[in-house]
Amino acid sequence: MIDLAIFLASLAGFAGLLLASPRHQQEWLRSKLAPRACTSLRLSGFLLLTSAFVVAGRSLGWGYGAVVWLGWLTIAAALVVIAHTNRERIVAKVRR
Amino acid sequence: MMPGFRQSMAWLHTWSGLLLGWLLYAVFFTGTTAYFNQEITAWMTPESVEQADPRTAAVNAQAWLARHHPDAVTWDVMLPASRGGETRLSWTEASSPTASDAARGSMRLNGRGLDTPVPRPTAGGQFLYGFHYELHYVPYRTARWIVGLSAMFMLVAIVSGIVTHKKIFADFFMLRFGKGQRSWLDAHNVTAVLALPFHLMITYTGLVALMHMYMPWPDMMRPKPPRFAPMTIEASAAPSAPLTALLPLLTQASQEWGGVQAVRIKYQHPGHADARITLFPSGADSIAEHHGAQIFDGATGALITPPPSTSNTHIVESAMVGLHAGRYAAPTLRWLYFLSGLGGTVMIGTGLLLWIVKRRQRLPDPEHPYFGFRIVERLNIGTIVGLPAGVAAYFLANRLLSTDAVGRADWEIRCLFITWTALLVWSIVRPAKSAWVEALTVCALLYALVPIVSALTTTRGLFSSLITRDWVFVSFDLVMLITAALLTLAVRKLASHTPKAAPRRKPRPSVEAAA
Repeated sequence: MIDLAIFLASLAGFAGLLLASPRHQQEWLRSKLAPRACTSLRLSGFLLLTSAFVVAGRSLGWGYGAVVWLGWLTIAAALVVIAHTNRERIVAKVRR
Repeated sequence: MMPGFRQSMAWLHTWSGLLLGWLLYAVFFTGTTAYFNQEITAWMTPESVEQADPRTAAVNAQAWLARHHPDAVTWDVMLPASRGGETRLSWTEASSPTASDAARGSMRLNGRGLDTPVPRPTAGGQFLYGFHYELHYVPYRTARWIVGLSAMFMLVAIVSGIVTHKKIFADFFMLRFGKGQRSWLDAHNVTAVLALPFHLMITYTGLVALMHMYMPWPDMMRPKPPRFAPMTIEASAAPSAPLTALLPLLTQASQEWGGVQAVRIKYQHPGHADARITLFPSGADSIAEHHGAQIFDGATGALITPPPSTSNTHIVESAMVGLHAGRYAAPTLRWLYFLSGLGGTVMIGTGLLLWIVKRRQRLPDPEHPYFGFRIVERLNIGTIVGLPAGVAAYFLANRLLSTDAVGRADWEIRCLFITWTALLVWSIVRPAKSAWVEALTVCALLYALVPIVSALTTTRGLFSSLITRDWVFVSFDLVMLITAALLTLAVRKLASHTPKAAPRRKPRPSVEAAA
């Protein structure tokens, strides 16, 4: 359960960071967001990653939790990369 | 700075990565499997059905030694982990005054310390674990030096790679397929960056784990800490006396250690009035080792030496080694370790491929590449595919060799190296692309065969394991099938791929600097 929370927060965090970049906004949303939206996306992305760390540390102990957190960060980032690589297929499916 | 800092780092990254890249690939691949070494051993001894239990194993192992080697001077019992594995015993007979190998014996018992049913002789997951830092067919000290050197190169390659990577944040999520060299670079970067904390940690702590061998001088300077019980191999002069009950000692030691269980039990002069029982704490309960061994009087059960307080230096060192080995990790974290390790293996593999892909475009005559290019190209195929194929053959041999064959465990290992060598030779005699397709096909077939052969030769195939909810066996077979599926995918991609004609470019003035 805790693992799921850490994973989902990391996943959402990296998704936020991905969409905070104007280049990736063009690819996913077909338009660029306002600079303020970018900043808040980036901030919330980092905030989610930090909160995942706090959740991991408080529930599993800071030593063990830190290792678990880094492990899930890697997995979450890898999934965001895979989704990003297949974005054309995903976007086409959503649009239909 | 003549060539520019980043360029010189790129040069360093290329060559430090290439020189020992294949060895690093083998170390990462086998080291990654080692996170499941107990589970692999369990799969490779399908006769041992019962769940391992360290406490039961300890009592039974002591009884076995008392029955078969009552006159031995020392006994040594390595307990299984609670997640599985075997009990390993060794002893020294009284007959010899020196600790020569002839006087020593060893025995494997199952996870409950019983010798029935007899597990088939195998080196199990322990062999793959050992290979990742002691190799094989090489004296182990030499091997550790070689592996340590390659770990040093790895550290250099990681640091110089970080400097070289121009857009670590801008390209964080970028993985572009179908763009030739760019795709390989992306794959290399993504697997490197996403698991970077793991790569740095595992390389650095790997060096720490072996540092006492590389830098023995500090150890020579200081007095030996009383962490290990002094062991003599002289026969006891004391009258005989039965050993005390073991379970109360295990319980008492565990309480003293704050719940940590014993992992190893050493006996000196068992069966005599001056018997000593030394209990060593397990590293499976916390990242760092906070406790030392406890020594008990073997006849009365009284505590002789309480666990010595451990220094902070020792705690830091054991935390690093613990972080590396991951023995403390619960199943979820263990899988995360495993996946990060796979990421590292892919990173090294794609890095080696990148060297070739980059240079192929600049070959003056693509039909007849120069010698160094051919060596790297063939070693790439032979190692990147050959080693995994060898490991699949190792698993297959475990199921196919007769259980009472002479030297069975050695033959399993030989099957690994024969397969690896065969693919290496094959990749040398065939054209590069065919060699890739054929080697990958063989590798995929071998992995697909593992669960099939296992189902045919044992009663613990995938379906029966599903019914009995034997998750270790289920997971093992599924990992084999997933590996086979991914390899098949790679074969299909590769077979349908026709490389674009290399774009004509002016030869660069300084090829070396851009390498």
